[in-house]
Amino acid sequence: MSVPLLVATLLVMSSVAYFFGRRRAFAVAQGRLRSLHSLPAYYGLYVSIWCGLPALLLLGLWVSFEGTIITKLVVGGLPEEIRNLGPDRLNLVVNDIQNLVRGSIVSSKPDAAMRAAAERYASLQSISHAAMFVVAIAIAILAAALTLTRIRPQQRARNAVERILLWTLIASSTLAILTTVGIVLSVLFESIRFFHAVPITEFLFGLDWSPQIAIRADQVGSSGAFGAVPVFAGTLMITLIAMLVAVPVGLMSAIYLSEYASARLRATAKPALEILAGIPTVVYGFFAALIVAPFLRDNGALLGLNIASESALAAGLVMGIMIIPFVSSLSDDVMNAVPQALRDGAYGMGATQAETIRRVIFPAALPGIVGAVLLAVSRAIGETMIVVMAAGLAANLSANPFQAVTTVTVQIVTLLIGDQEFDSPKTLAAFALGLVLFAVTLCLNVIALYIVRRYREQYE
Amino acid sequence: MESQAISMKGNLDEQHDLSRARAAPAPTVSRETRGQTVGELRSQSARMRCTGVNVFYGEKHAVKNVNIDLGNNEVLAMIGPSGCGKTTFLRCLNRMNDTVSGCRVTGEIVMDGKDINARGVDVVPLRAQVSMVFQKPNPFPKSIWENVAFGPRIHGLAQNKVELDEIVVNSLQRAGLWNEVKDRLHEPGTGLSGGQQQRLCIARSIAVHPEVILMDEPCSALDPIATARIEELIDELRENYTICIVTHSMQQAARVSQRTAYFHLGDLIEVGDTKQIFTRPQHQLTEDYITGRFG
Amino acid sequence: MSNAAATSAAGGGAARRHVDIVMAGMARRRAAERRFRLYGRIAIGVGLFFLVVLFGSIVSNGYSAFWQTELRLDVKLDASQIDPQGGRDPAILGRADYGGIIKHRLREMFPEVHGRRDRIALYGLVSNGAAFELRARVLANPSLIGQTVSLWVPADDDVDMLMKGKIKRAGPEKDRRLKDNQLRWIDQLKADGRLEKRFNVNFFTRGDSRDPELAGIWGAAVGSFYTLIVTLLLSFPLGVAAAVYLEEFAPRNRWTDLIEVNINNLAAVPSIVFGLLGLAVFINFFGLPRSAPVVGGLVLTLMTLPTIIIASRAALKSVPPSIREAALGVGASPMQAMIYHVLPLAMPGMLTGTIIGMAQALGETAPLLMIGMVAFIADIPRGAFDPATVLPVQIYLWADSPERAYVERTSAAIMVLLAFLIAMNLFAVMMRKRFERRW
Ligand SMILES: Nc1ncnc2c1ncn2[C@@H]1O[C@H](COP(=O)(O)OP(=O)(O)OP(=O)(O)O)[C@@H](O)[C@H]1O
Ligand SMILES: [Mg+2]
Repeated sequence: MSVPLLVATLLVMSSVAYFFGRRRAFAVAQGRLRSLHSLPAYYGLYVSIWCGLPALLLLGLWVSFEGTIITKLVVGGLPEEIRNLGPDRLNLVVNDIQNLVRGSIVSSKPDAAMRAAAERYASLQSISHAAMFVVAIAIAILAAALTLTRIRPQQRARNAVERILLWTLIASSTLAILTTVGIVLSVLFESIRFFHAVPITEFLFGLDWSPQIAIRADQVGSSGAFGAVPVFAGTLMITLIAMLVAVPVGLMSAIYLSEYASARLRATAKPALEILAGIPTVVYGFFAALIVAPFLRDNGALLGLNIASESALAAGLVMGIMIIPFVSSLSDDVMNAVPQALRDGAYGMGATQAETIRRVIFPAALPGIVGAVLLAVSRAIGETMIVVMAAGLAANLSANPFQAVTTVTVQIVTLLIGDQEFDSPKTLAAFALGLVLFAVTLCLNVIALYIVRRYREQYE
Repeated sequence: MESQAISMKGNLDEQHDLSRARAAPAPTVSRETRGQTVGELRSQSARMRCTGVNVFYGEKHAVKNVNIDLGNNEVLAMIGPSGCGKTTFLRCLNRMNDTVSGCRVTGEIVMDGKDINARGVDVVPLRAQVSMVFQKPNPFPKSIWENVAFGPRIHGLAQNKVELDEIVVNSLQRAGLWNEVKDRLHEPGTGLSGGQQQRLCIARSIAVHPEVILMDEPCSALDPIATARIEELIDELRENYTICIVTHSMQQAARVSQRTAYFHLGDLIEVGDTKQIFTRPQHQLTEDYITGRFG
Repeated sequence: MSNAAATSAAGGGAARRHVDIVMAGMARRRAAERRFRLYGRIAIGVGLFFLVVLFGSIVSNGYSAFWQTELRLDVKLDASQIDPQGGRDPAILGRADYGGIIKHRLREMFPEVHGRRDRIALYGLVSNGAAFELRARVLANPSLIGQTVSLWVPADDDVDMLMKGKIKRAGPEKDRRLKDNQLRWIDQLKADGRLEKRFNVNFFTRGDSRDPELAGIWGAAVGSFYTLIVTLLLSFPLGVAAAVYLEEFAPRNRWTDLIEVNINNLAAVPSIVFGLLGLAVFINFFGLPRSAPVVGGLVLTLMTLPTIIIASRAALKSVPPSIREAALGVGASPMQAMIYHVLPLAMPGMLTGTIIGMAQALGETAPLLMIGMVAFIADIPRGAFDPATVLPVQIYLWADSPERAYVERTSAAIMVLLAFLIAMNLFAVMMRKRFERRW
């Protein structure tokens, strides 16, 4: 029996329980509905919730932990020599077993031990599924029956239902915090493991980044090099190029649209620019890699410039285009918050529109604009697809925008894609980079949101 | 005073001032008497002459056929119940209504022989000549010094820093603010008290050396002491400027103005010598208003 | 008389008023004004220019992918070859050598071709998928056996590219993908009316493939569908519940402040970080399957929640308090007032926010790379637990492929993705218009 089917069954059961609960409420009221504390429907809901909720919660937990527990059990039953392989090799073995169970292709030819393990895995899985099915249904029936028999006229069914609802609401709102905690824990744990293998100072200040060498132990320089400075520098360079495109263009178009443009132009140009914000980043990546980069390379060659086909310039330029609407809509908001009285003050003594904007509105809006730019920077640093598709893989420490550089996000993706082993320094390095990325963007966001909030309060 | 008269006369045949403006036809007697306004519409030495001014906000007719003169070296007070169009009319005088979308102004407002609403008139020099102080003090979020230097700077009135400094100090002195801020010129103007802010705005206005100053309820946000200070200032400024002030305080109008205009629902009801308006109003509505029967 | 007036009177009779100084500067200031305006126009022009170039290059690169060069073969379905026993058993029919039949037919068409090299070059004109199509045809209709059927089969991607003018005939032979003899055969086929561009059905009905002419977006589209369904089922109720709590029931205290700060920050956390979370928590810790839409949906849920919560709160805020007061006034509990009176009014706004969140999720790539949705998957997923990929990841995979023919397919896939996104956003806009405040 599959999990979706079980879920569906439980849902059906809980709807049935609703009707039982309601009928029971009518019955205990003995025709005097007024004697009930709540409307009969609430008794129905009460029973229905008790029938469905605990069973579904259990189901969720079961599905979440089943895989891990079964794997532990199977690994425990493996022959000694396999168990002592070391964590990364063991992981491969487990993967093979799982693939064997699913009936898909396996990387090595299955031997007897493997096949036995796979069989064990499959049998454990079916036992677990059966047990889950029985337990979940039993809990549902039991809970429904118990609540059903305890329905009394004076029972505060509405309050009980509302309390459960409120707790559901509270739990949902807490998810935001859980997510943040989850992010922090997941990157932090793996990073700490990484920093056991590679000293944090080497990671933060080392000038040499070549994690790929670490794959094979017999190679020269097998330890790999994890000095992330070139990666950080590359990220900063591409971000800088993106900002050089996005800030002037975004700011000036916001100014033109809000202060100069006719209503007709505004009604067409503004949504048109906002389309740029809705385009998926992978599309920008394609645009950068297949259209902008070759264009720059070929035209650079005409001018005698040597522009790499994965130049920082192409990636940064396209990233800048992506961020234009972000900058322009944020700074539009910010400048609209500048009170009309200041404009009037400037116009009232004969300032031209440009002078008013440049000397009054812009300085007044500056804190908000700085906040907007910080948010844009955080966006650029965390942007992934454009750089994955258009920037390089090799970590060059260079200030030449025509050269290929790599970025934090590119490295995270290349270190983690298609790799099955989770314990090598190589994969852990991705989490360390993720930690840096999360910390930096978090700081930028917090500062930016704070500045913008302060700014808004100033003109409230 | 004489020098101004001379310069005015000289200005009439200057080509580059408001050069592309069409010359206004000479106002005729018949036009002057149009409308229901009673009293002395015209003054002997008119700095600005308004004839048949109408303002519409979309469909709304906010100012109806107003004829009035702003005399040289004179304070004109405009009074009237809320919403009667005082601010709207005041804003016509330096074309601030241009910035309001959907606002339409008709009629003539003649200054230096030119209609300021004529096509081709540049609002920038016009507003440098006819400067405006607003109801709510609106200092720019910059230092006090920068606030006052703003106008002279954009208009290029100072050749160098020394001259600019001189203008700033001079303006602050004339606005009666110098002694209070001379030690904190580089602190933000928004950090001053309300009354000081309003005087800063006045200083900012007079720093561009306007010829006419328009003030829209300049004291409505101020306490009596600050109000008195500003009233004194207005009286001093009268020597060199033409001033038009909107106020809700009849006492203030009586104290600072030479002439008073009474507006009612967009109509200019009565204009005349301030003393006469407050003692012997000719129109029933004016009388009702100043005796406090409504408004 | 003041200083200012004195200075203006100085210099004899020709008094220089300040307004003259102002006038003198006007030409310069007008020029500055015009320049400033011009910068603004340039900025907007640059933005719109990029928009046009982006769309233009994608459409001009991609529209041709909706047609595919196909080759008409008249193959004789010899019963002795396909079904020697004559039992029409599908298992036996399925095992027959359809590739051989097609090759045989090609040899018949070009009897002058001899030699192994030349023959391989000849076979290379037809896609590997031709045999599968023939097989499918026969299996669907075994009565064809014994007849000669006229069949359009996809040509090889190089032939397709040549027909679309995307690779050149000129240049030294050794640099070309298509050799001289192949070009000759192609010309002959074209002259016979056997080579034609036809609507590319495969593109819309098949999964990924190593052969560009057989690669389609259906697999990715289905993967996207499952992923989005999971995302929607989780994020909509959770987002609305969180918004309702924060807006209607939460006391103002440190805890709710913390939640609020968290939501605002999560909205700005790079998407790839959510991918790391998904990898570490859902896959490594909970042991959920890699590459599965269900994990993708979970990750995207966490990502879109802030959007939905923020939009839903705005929708709740716009419901006037009088509605709540009226409901409370007739004796409803706060929860009842919420559910029966406030929520229905806020629902359009919440749905609009959800659609926008879904559009974001549909276009998201980076976090899905982290949880293994980049695997090469040719099969169409049949459920949320099957390995799958999604449209944007498919685009990424194709964009990374070296074959020339993938460029147009990538662009075409982008066009399809953008069409979905535009439809979703238009729907959201229409909904917003339709339900704009009625009170
Ligand atoms: N921007 C505008 N759009 C439409 N109508 C306006 C606008 N500004 C003012 N009005 C209308 O024009 C009329 C005159 O307004 P105005 O501000 O001139 O009155 P006021 O005499 O200055 O009043 P108060 O003494 O309250 O300042 C009012 O009825 C007002 O509603
Ligand atoms: Mg007013």
